[in-house]
Amino acid sequence: MSVSEIALAEEQTSNDRGAEFRRGLAASTPVLLGIIPYALVLGAQAAQKGLSVIEVPLMTGLNFAGGSEFAAIQLWTSPPHVLLIAGITLLVNSRHFLMGAALAPFIKHLPKQQVFPALFLMCDESWAVGLADAQRRAAAGLPPAFSLPFYLGAGLPFYLAWVAFTTCGAALGPVLGDVGKYGFAMAFPAVFLVLLRGMWKGFAAARPWLVSLAVAALTYLVVPGAWYVAAGALSGLVAAWFLAGDK
Amino acid sequence: MIDPMTVLAILAMAGVTYLTRIGGYVVLRNRALSPRATAVMEAAPGCVLISVIAPDFVSKNQADLAALAITILAATRLSMLPTVVIGVGSAGALGWLIG
Repeated sequence: MSVSEIALAEEQTSNDRGAEFRRGLAASTPVLLGIIPYALVLGAQAAQKGLSVIEVPLMTGLNFAGGSEFAAIQLWTSPPHVLLIAGITLLVNSRHFLMGAALAPFIKHLPKQQVFPALFLMCDESWAVGLADAQRRAAAGLPPAFSLPFYLGAGLPFYLAWVAFTTCGAALGPVLGDVGKYGFAMAFPAVFLVLLRGMWKGFAAARPWLVSLAVAALTYLVVPGAWYVAAGALSGLVAAWFLAGDK
Repeated sequence: MIDPMTVLAILAMAGVTYLTRIGGYVVLRNRALSPRATAVMEAAPGCVLISVIAPDFVSKNQADLAALAITILAATRLSMLPTVVIGVGSAGALGWLIG
C-alpha cells in the first residue's frame, strides 16, 4: 500500500465522515474553477432572454444541469414552449441514465432514502469525481468503494456555486460582457481530459472514446443544437458493444 | 418578476432532469450485466465526457486549438489543478496573442 492508500484506510476505519466530506471538498475545488465562468455566462444569457434574478436561480436550483439549461435558454421564447423545453432537456440529460447506471454497482447497497437525494446532486463533475474515487478505492481494496460523504463534499459546492454564480450572472450580465474571451472556457475541457486520463486503461479500451469524439465532433459541425452529445455518446457505446467481441 | 409559464417550463425541466438522474440507478440496480453490457458500461463514462468536449476539438479558433493541444499534453502528465491553470493560462495568453 502506498502512503495515500494507508491514509485512506485510516480515514475509513475511524469512519470519520467529516474527513471524507472535506476530502470531497478538496477534490471538487479545482473543478469549481471550471464551472464559474459557465454559470456567469448562463445567467447573463438567461437575463437577456427576459428571465428575472428570481427565475434564474429557480431554474438552476431545481434543474441543476448546465447543458440542458444552456440549450433551454437558446430556445427560450416569451412565453416559453414548455414541451419543447422539456424535450430538449430530456435529450441533453439522457447521458444521466448512463451515468446513474455506471454508478449503480457502487451505490446499490445504500438505503434508498440516501440514494434518491444524493442522485439529485449528480452532475457531470460530481459524478466523474465520485465515480473516479469509487473506482480507485475499489482497486485499492478499500470498503466501501463509494464514499457518500466524499460524494456530498464533492457535489454540494458545485450545486451552491452553480446557483450562486448563475444568479450573479443574471444580475451582472450586462456589465461583464463576454467572459469567454479570458480563457476560462478551457477549464472545462482541462478537467474532463484529466478525468479521462484517470479512466485510461490502454488504447484498446479507449477505442470507443475515439468513435465518440469523431461522431460528436462531426455532429456538432453538421447538426445545429445539442444533438452532438447524444450522437457521440451513443455511437461510442455501439462501438464498445461490437469491440467487446474482439476479446 | 415571476411568470407562470416560465415557472411551468422550469418545473417541467426539473422533473425530466430528475427522472434521468434516478433512471439508470432504478432500472439497472439489481441486474447482472453480460460481459458485453459490462464493456459498454465501462466505456460509457469516457464516451460521454469526450462527447461533451468534442466541439473544442473542432473549434474554428486557432488559439483555442493550440491551447487545447497544450492542455491535452498537460493532462497526460499533471494532476487536476496544474492542468486547469495551464489550460486557462494558455487559452488566455494565446487568445490575446493570436485571437
